[in-house]
Amino acid sequence: MNQLTKDQFVSVLEAAGINTAQREKLHEAFERLQPEGHQQFLAWLGLPAETIAKIRTLSRR
Amino acid sequence: MITIRQLANQFGLSRSTLLYYDRIGLLRPDYRTAAGYRLYAASDRHRLEQICRFRSAGLALARIEQLLERPQPSQSALTAALHGRLSALNREIAALRRQQQVVVDLLKKTGSTRRTRLMDKPRWVALLRAAGMDDAEMRRWHVEFERQSPEAHQDFLESLGLPAAEIGQIRRGEDRPPHRVRRRPSN
Repeated sequence: MNQLTKDQFVSVLEAAGINTAQREKLHEAFERLQPEGHQQFLAWLGLPAETIAKIRTLSRR
Repeated sequence: MITIRQLANQFGLSRSTLLYYDRIGLLRPDYRTAAGYRLYAASDRHRLEQICRFRSAGLALARIEQLLERPQPSQSALTAALHGRLSALNREIAALRRQQQVVVDLLKKTGSTRRTRLMDKPRWVALLRAAGMDDAEMRRWHVEFERQSPEAHQDFLESLGLPAAEIGQIRRGEDRPPHRVRRRPSN
């Protein structure tokens, strides 16, 4: 299932014109609306648990 | 010229694999000594390299032999073989997903469920909208996803539980305008 790395995913977003600020908003919305989905998605990208926890904490601010 | 043992070692294969390839005519040694020992030439080694490359893509031995029949595998035959393999992989992934669903359903019955497939299309679309992404951007995102990582794009769309026809439309950029989703009755 995990054929896509985080860097590849970000490069897809960037090529589609989605900038850093929008990506941050995406994390915030993800955490607010679908916290479990957020966790699962970050795990799908193959991020280590520590990084996932950090991203999720930052998204809640 | 090298022996069967040496060739096998170079490729991390067993001797019996090479004996089998010889028996089915996939890789015949260039030379047999009077005592029956197999000796492989550089050209055999090159052929085995190709065989191993196609094997690691999961192509069947019979298919590999067809490809190597020609002096130089034609681009279209190779492309067709690889497309066929890609479809087979997609079918296997879909079958695994069905199994995954059955397992999840069984676990639900036992009451000890860890939910999977939390995200479906309506949820993603709602999320992307909440993050300020509009239809044009979502479209561009699919176009880029398809261009940069077509298999991961397929995999991602399958993970949302979309039917194959809709996945095909999205990947070809023909999905109905734009992100109209019907809420499924229950979730």
